Amino acid sequence: MSETTRRLPVYLLLDTSGSMSGEPIEAVRQGVKALLADLRSDPQAIETAYLSVITFDSVARQIMPLTELMAFQEPMLRASGATALGGALKLLDEAINREVRKNSSTQKGDWKPLIFLMTDGMPTDSWESAADTLKNKKPGNLIACAAGPGADEKPLKRITEIVIRLDTLQPDSLKAFFRWVSDSIKVTSQSIAQVAADTPINLPPPPPQIQIVP
Amino acid sequence: MTVLDATLSDGRKAQYVLVDNPPAGGMKKTYFSPDRSYVVQFYHKQSAAHDPQRKSRLEAILGKYNPTIIQAQGGAAASETSADYFKRLFCWPTGIVVQPDIGIVAPTYPGHYFFADGPFKGKEKEGGWFLGTKTRKLLPGSELGNWKGYFSLCICMARAVRRLHLAGLAHSDLSSKNVLIDPLQGTSVIIDIDSLVVPGLYPPDMMGSPGYIAPEVLGTQHLPINDPNRHLPSIATDQHALAVLIYQYLLLRHPLRGPKLHSTASAEEDEHLAMGSKALFVEHPADSSNQPRDLKIPYTILGQDLTDLIKRAFVDGLHAPHKRPAAAEWERGLTKTWDMLIPCTNPVCTHQMFVLADPRSVCCPFCKTFYPINTLPVLKLRSERRPGQWLPDGQIVAFHNQSLFPWHVFDNLYSGELADRTPQAYCVFHEGRWLLINQAMDSLTSPGGNRVPIGSAVELKDGARFRLSQQAHGRIAEVQLLQV
Repeated sequence: MSETTRRLPVYLLLDTSGSMSGEPIEAVRQGVKALLADLRSDPQAIETAYLSVITFDSVARQIMPLTELMAFQEPMLRASGATALGGALKLLDEAINREVRKNSSTQKGDWKPLIFLMTDGMPTDSWESAADTLKNKKPGNLIACAAGPGADEKPLKRITEIVIRLDTLQPDSLKAFFRWVSDSIKVTSQSIAQVAADTPINLPPPPPQIQIVP
Repeated sequence: MTVLDATLSDGRKAQYVLVDNPPAGGMKKTYFSPDRSYVVQFYHKQSAAHDPQRKSRLEAILGKYNPTIIQAQGGAAASETSADYFKRLFCWPTGIVVQPDIGIVAPTYPGHYFFADGPFKGKEKEGGWFLGTKTRKLLPGSELGNWKGYFSLCICMARAVRRLHLAGLAHSDLSSKNVLIDPLQGTSVIIDIDSLVVPGLYPPDMMGSPGYIAPEVLGTQHLPINDPNRHLPSIATDQHALAVLIYQYLLLRHPLRGPKLHSTASAEEDEHLAMGSKALFVEHPADSSNQPRDLKIPYTILGQDLTDLIKRAFVDGLHAPHKRPAAAEWERGLTKTWDMLIPCTNPVCTHQMFVLADPRSVCCPFCKTFYPINTLPVLKLRSERRPGQWLPDGQIVAFHNQSLFPWHVFDNLYSGELADRTPQAYCVFHEGRWLLINQAMDSLTSPGGNRVPIGSAVELKDGARFRLSQQAHGRIAEVQLLQV
């Protein structure tokens, strides 16, 4: 790693609870696959973006640590169990502390991480304090997606201001979501220098399947 | 396959193939024509409010500012030759779409701007692939080209920008993404022409791309748009972006990205200062605080002409826009340096060429291979500025198989868009002697005063002086035989 390059850390927090099993989890797998293929055809993304995947069902796991795009292995996603959102948020906080290089007087730190959180249900563990910690710390730009009719937006609003909604868990909706995630990463890796640390990031407009929750 | 009709502002129709997820950039989405010879691009709906003058801007760009159409047909090109030449250097829009949405029609990029091989086969050759340290390693050797190709594509780029600036246009977003390059053929093509800035008439609608935005634009970004101290993209900021691109393509590193830290608050703030108000050239002669540790090959290997231009761009003119070299100066500096390129004889050299920057040491700076013959002629060119007064105005290394072109023979010809590119003579090292063989010069005269017919040669001995042409504007060449 050169002394002059910065990384754009991207964390995907994916709900793999039992309600995602069947078609939805398959659509998520395809979505991650398409996201990878798309990012790997963009020189700026290959140069700067690093990807990590955290899944949460009954427990939360970081199934892929922060890895550069060309070395990233597609994760095995399986759906079962409950929705440990709180665990995932705690894990995210730990991962960012451990993996994202801070700016200091001796090193060029990484860009502010880009975090995409997708859930289709309601948290089943205690999540409130982890959500508050995250909202106070603002370790990155966090975009939360309430996917499908069963998803509850309220907890997400407590984590971040940027909440979007997918009305269904149909493959087409999920595909559109992952495509938008990919576009957002590409735009951020291209325009990162213009993003002042304290202003909201400028993501591409979401496709019609996605509504922004005010 | 669903083929739809787009209606153009002049009533013509353009067909395009409807697809589900068309390729989309920040501004528009792209559909191909059924034969893929042109594209129809529609602006994103939400971007319309962003640029209320879009239609009149497009009309100006397609009309009176258009260097790919001759003046007689409403364009800006002085001749068909010039128009055809610039068609290769720009992907200039050819029509304005008014139905079903506002958009443009543009030619498809020529096939050699798509990778033929490797993991990115079929992708457009945007400059970023060749500049990224990771992506460059992923490209197959057959796509990388040699250093001569990078010089040549830089000349194309400088020439294209010179042409825009001559018309009073600014590109406003020159970057490795908006210039496709082909190092194999040594060409470049400027794309995304539709956001050109006509100063005073159509203001810029974007700031530019990271890494290419001029320091004064970033440094005054916080001021209101109508503040007199606010700097917006202009010809001067294009000059900065062009200098960055040329420096990057020739040296494969960024002129401002070094290790120096300006803020520990955040990466974003640090970057904002490092590219803006605190920008510092990585090779600043008096301040090495931004110099990467692994920088081994200094920019001075590019020879005196480019050294001077780079110094003006990144030392004198980095924070003083009026001191930056114009695109025309880059074009001239690059073409002069082109004449000082020598092939490296090391078959595995990464660059295959180098600039004769130091006549005392004819050695490739990339692989440290010395020139294999113990002499090397340089032709010092002189032209008659006043009767009887011959002043130096150029030089060319006469290595084995080097060619002389009309613009070397005559001082009033220029290697630009209108040039006749017929070789006039070539140099060879034959049986221990350096010879200049006449191919097309009708009045080449030997040092002794005899005409040298086509097919015959002049020997290049140290100090020899001879006329390349007896016609008006014909130059004198004076041989300097370097001892290697």
